Amino acid sequence: MSLAYQAVGWNRQKKVYDGWLAVGILLYLAVFMVLGAVLFPSITAETLLIRGFGTASFVLLHVILYIGPAARLFPRLLPLLYNRRHMGVSMFVLGLAHGVLALIQYHVGGDQFPLVSLLTSNGDYASVVNFPFQLLGFLALGILFLMAATSHDFWLANLTAPVWKALHMLVYVAYALLVAHVALGYLQNHAAPVTTALLGLGVLGLFGLHAAAALREGATDKEAEADNGWVYVARVDEILENRARMICAAGERIAVFKYEGKVSAVSNVCQHQNGPLGEGKIVDGCITCPWHGYQYRPKDGASPPPFTEKIPTFRAKVTEGKIYVDPKPLPPGTEVEPALIQGEGVA
Amino acid sequence: MKQDQDEFYVGYQPKAPAGIAGAVRGTVVLLLLLGAVAAFLIVREQKDIAAALFEFGVVREFEGVIAAKPYPMLRVARPDAAGDAEAFSRYLLVAPFKFGADPIVAPFDGKKVSLKGTLIYRDNKTMIELAAEDALREIGGGVGDKPVSFGEVTLKGEIVDSKCFLGVMNPGELKTHKACAVRCISGGIPPVLVVRDGEGTVKTFLLVDRNQGQVNQAVLPMVAEPVAVTGELVRLDDWWMLKADPESYKLL
Repeated sequence: MSLAYQAVGWNRQKKVYDGWLAVGILLYLAVFMVLGAVLFPSITAETLLIRGFGTASFVLLHVILYIGPAARLFPRLLPLLYNRRHMGVSMFVLGLAHGVLALIQYHVGGDQFPLVSLLTSNGDYASVVNFPFQLLGFLALGILFLMAATSHDFWLANLTAPVWKALHMLVYVAYALLVAHVALGYLQNHAAPVTTALLGLGVLGLFGLHAAAALREGATDKEAEADNGWVYVARVDEILENRARMICAAGERIAVFKYEGKVSAVSNVCQHQNGPLGEGKIVDGCITCPWHGYQYRPKDGASPPPFTEKIPTFRAKVTEGKIYVDPKPLPPGTEVEPALIQGEGVA
Repeated sequence: MKQDQDEFYVGYQPKAPAGIAGAVRGTVVLLLLLGAVAAFLIVREQKDIAAALFEFGVVREFEGVIAAKPYPMLRVARPDAAGDAEAFSRYLLVAPFKFGADPIVAPFDGKKVSLKGTLIYRDNKTMIELAAEDALREIGGGVGDKPVSFGEVTLKGEIVDSKCFLGVMNPGELKTHKACAVRCISGGIPPVLVVRDGEGTVKTFLLVDRNQGQVNQAVLPMVAEPVAVTGELVRLDDWWMLKADPESYKLL
């Protein structure tokens, strides 16, 4: 968490993360460039660079998109999600290098302004087969630029989380555009069965991971029914100490935490990036989001000073070892006395 | 419950819990390996690279007779010519970037010149990109050559710009190169029809109209598409030329 904005708030974990990210990118480029130069001595440096940067960017985009659902299925992979924005910016830079080099190579030095040439000199907009694949890559790069430019928490706070999240969900539009860019570009004219199979595998893998994560979340999202205004959550012994059980009631996702002989209920949605607080843990007395470590006090859903984030809270009660919540949300930051497990009272 | 089952990662803490760190380390190693394997599998399929060369940065001097029409060429005597081999070679001449050399060579048509430029070559076909400044110097008079007709033929292939195809870009054909080919041909680079036989042998044919005029603008809509061209096959020293009006080209 941070209060003031810095370009990057470096800490040891981020340095380790970025170090391995750099190793991965350099390893890919080294294998591609060295083998390319050895296997095809006539290949020009520009072609090698354009293809190396383009494929590195696309492979990295797959890793980025896989991390989200993979971390939902395997929470131990959450550290990969923590600084994923660094991966996203790196992927954009690689894509930009690919795009700029291709623009220079194919469109600069001619009888038309390069961007006009890009949009007019290749293909038939009315045809699927002859559709100009460059336009698809150009549009995808535009989306990725918007995402990279707004990846900082400054923009997240100023655009608000829902708008920022919607903007960043456009990555799936960019991904679809890039799949078409590759399919209607390189793969359309070149016999490359292994590359084609890798692309198919990449697309199927992404769908598969999202489907598996959605199936798992589907169980949580099953709407719980209220009885006299209270919704059953779980038995006390079913929730680990400092952990939560998530339920969906009256259209709200609620995270119900057990800690220090008490139970508190808050909104499951983190104010930062809508992360699932119910998958978090109480650390140093605060509910801690699994995505980026944003913290909230269990009793009032407010971040500890000097931070100012607040989330809605819910009333909870414990009766005969069973936990119940009132699904009516209270205004963000409303203090609610935690339900006592031993005394089994109403908060 | 065991301690490690309840580990929780917080990015701003100094270290990750041991169990999570181990899982992430394993995943990172796997990702690095998969990335390297993907790079290997993808790069080994880049088989569209031809044995062509552009001597970028190397400027040589040449002597020969300028033939400005139909496309700028330098006619050079082949000292080693014997038997049926042509006594002369023709080097196509182009300007730097994506432009033809017509305005540069026009004043020297039919004259013997010394010129400076950079070689581009593929499959016994040679082109020279003229140096940016003072590329040509007249050193005498020259003798032209008349084309030899081989009758009407129909050839199927792809229209490309000769500069990129002969080596400036590699690959310099098909859809991924189409936009560049359009720019080059539009800028005056001679268009050629690339014809492949069943065994992969490549032959290039300069495209001209029935009056042996340039066809650059007329062929633009058909660049990088499979086409059939029926016309008169003509030989100019070691170059083949196909004389046909672009309106008669058939998209396949």
